[in-house]
Amino acid sequence: MLALTARQLDLAVDDLQSGISSWRLSHFLAWQDIKQRYRRSTLGPIWMTLSFGIQIFTMGFLSAALFGARLEKSFPYVCAGMLLWGLITTTVSDGAGLFVASARYITQIKCPLSVFLIQAIWRNIMIAGHNVAIYVAIALYFVVIPSPSLILWPLGLLLVVVCLSWMALVAAVVSARYRDVPLIIANIFAVLFWLTPLIYFPEQLGRKRFIADYNPFTHMIALVREPLLGASPTLNDWLVVLVLAVAGWIGTFLFFARFRSRIVYWL
Amino acid sequence: MLSIISKDIHVEFPIYDTRTRSLKYSLGIKQIAKGLSRIAPKNMNVGGQIGASETGRVVVKALDGVSFEISEGDRVGLMGHNGSGKTTLLRVLAGIYEPATGVIQANGRVFPLFDLQLGMDPEATGIENIWMRGKMLNLSTKQIQDALDDVIDFTELGDYLYMPARAYSSGMALRLAFAISTAITPEILVLDEMIGAGDASFIAKADARLKTFLARTGILVIASHSMGMLRQWCNKGMLLEQGKMLAYGPFEDVASMYESKVAAEQR
Repeated sequence: MLALTARQLDLAVDDLQSGISSWRLSHFLAWQDIKQRYRRSTLGPIWMTLSFGIQIFTMGFLSAALFGARLEKSFPYVCAGMLLWGLITTTVSDGAGLFVASARYITQIKCPLSVFLIQAIWRNIMIAGHNVAIYVAIALYFVVIPSPSLILWPLGLLLVVVCLSWMALVAAVVSARYRDVPLIIANIFAVLFWLTPLIYFPEQLGRKRFIADYNPFTHMIALVREPLLGASPTLNDWLVVLVLAVAGWIGTFLFFARFRSRIVYWL
Repeated sequence: MLSIISKDIHVEFPIYDTRTRSLKYSLGIKQIAKGLSRIAPKNMNVGGQIGASETGRVVVKALDGVSFEISEGDRVGLMGHNGSGKTTLLRVLAGIYEPATGVIQANGRVFPLFDLQLGMDPEATGIENIWMRGKMLNLSTKQIQDALDDVIDFTELGDYLYMPARAYSSGMALRLAFAISTAITPEILVLDEMIGAGDASFIAKADARLKTFLARTGILVIASHSMGMLRQWCNKGMLLEQGKMLAYGPFEDVASMYESKVAAEQR
C-alpha cells in the first residue's frame, strides 16, 4: 500500500519543481482571488484591514479585562499573535479546499498541483500583509520597540510558512479523498485557538502551562511575535519549529509522492 | 518529430459513492456486474465495464489495454458510444489522468482544449480575461502581448472589451474565449468535440480562423459524435468500445466499420 517507486518520487519532485518555477501563475491566480473578492465593493481590500482592526480592538480590551494586563501590553501582544494565527488558520483551511476548489482546472489542463498550493499560501500571505498596517499603528501608538532579534524575524517567518505549506498540502490531499476532513480541520482550529496563547499569556496557565508548551503552534507564534514585542523567541521555539518544518516536509513529500497521481481521480 | 506512443494503458475510476458501496456489501461486485448485464438490452455498449479493483472497490474500467502510435501530421478522430472512453483517452493524452498501468509518451507539448471558457471570470473585463485565459494556457507575458491585437481585432467586441464579461451575451463571451484559445500554435492539440464560435454572420470568420489554427497544429486528436465534422478534418480514425480499442487506421476504414456497427445496433 505504501510502497513507493522511484518514478513516483521523480514525478512528485517534478510537480513541486515546476510548481515553484511557475510562481508567476500562482501569483497571478492569487491576485485574481483577492481582486475577485473585493470587486464592486467601495472600500475593496481595505475591508480586510478594517475587519482585522475591529477584531483586534475588541480582543485587546477583552484580553486586558479578563487577564488583568495593561492595554499597552495586551494590544500589541494580541495583534502580533492574531496576525500570524490568521495566516495559519486560513492557509491550512484553504489547503483543505485546495484541490476541490480547483477541480475544474485540475481535470481540464495538465498543471502541477503545487501551483495551487503556492497560490493559496501566497494569497494568504498577501492578506496578512494588509493587516500588518494595524500592527504598525498599534506599535506606534503604544511605542513598542522591537528587539534586536528582529534580524532573525524573516527567517522565523519563513520557517513558519514552510510548516504551513506541508500542513496545507496534507490537508489538500486528504480532503480531496475524504470530504469530511475540511470540517474536521475547521473544528481542530476552533479548539486550538483556545489552547494557543493568543489572548492570554502562557505564564497565566500556571501549572497547566504544558498545554501551551506541547502545542507546536505556540512555538510558531512565538517565533514571529516575540521579536516584534521586544522579546526574543527561545532556542526551544526555534528547535521545535525547525524539526516540525523538516520532519513534516519529509513525511509530506513521501505521502504526496504516493498519492499525487490519484488526486485527479478523486475529484 | 512529434509523436504519441501509447502502450497497453489501463485507466480505472474508483466509485466512492456510499450507495454503491453499501450495494457492494449487500450484493457483491460480481452480482452487480451480472445484474447489469442481465437488465441491459442486447447490444448495449454504453459505458465502461463495471468491475472490482484489487482492493475490492467498485471501479469503472474506462480504458482497458489501449495501444497505438500517432505521428506528426496525423489528424485522429475518436469514435465510439457515450462512455466508450473517448474523453478519458483524451485526458490521458493531455497528461491529466496518469494511467494505472501502461505507458503513454508524448513527444511534443500537448495542448488540451476542452473548455474554451476555463479560467474566465465574469466580473473581469474582456481584456483582463484575455490575460487570464492566456495565463491558464501557460502562455508567457510576451506571447499574450503579441496575440493581444490579433485577438482584439478578431472578436470585433470594441469597447465591450473594457466592460466586465458578465455584460456579454454568451455568444460574445464565446467569441472572446475562441479568439484567445486559437491564437497559439499547438504542437499536439487535443479536442473534445470541435470548437467554434458565433452567430451566422460570424461563423465564416470563425471557420477561417479555425482552419488556419488546425493547419498549423502538428498532431490533432479529436473526439466527436459528428461524423461529418470528423470526415472533414481527420485522416485517421480510432474506434473505442467499453474502454477497448476496436480499430485504428485510415479514417474511412474505421468510420465505415463504426457506421455499420451503429446501423446494426439500430436494427
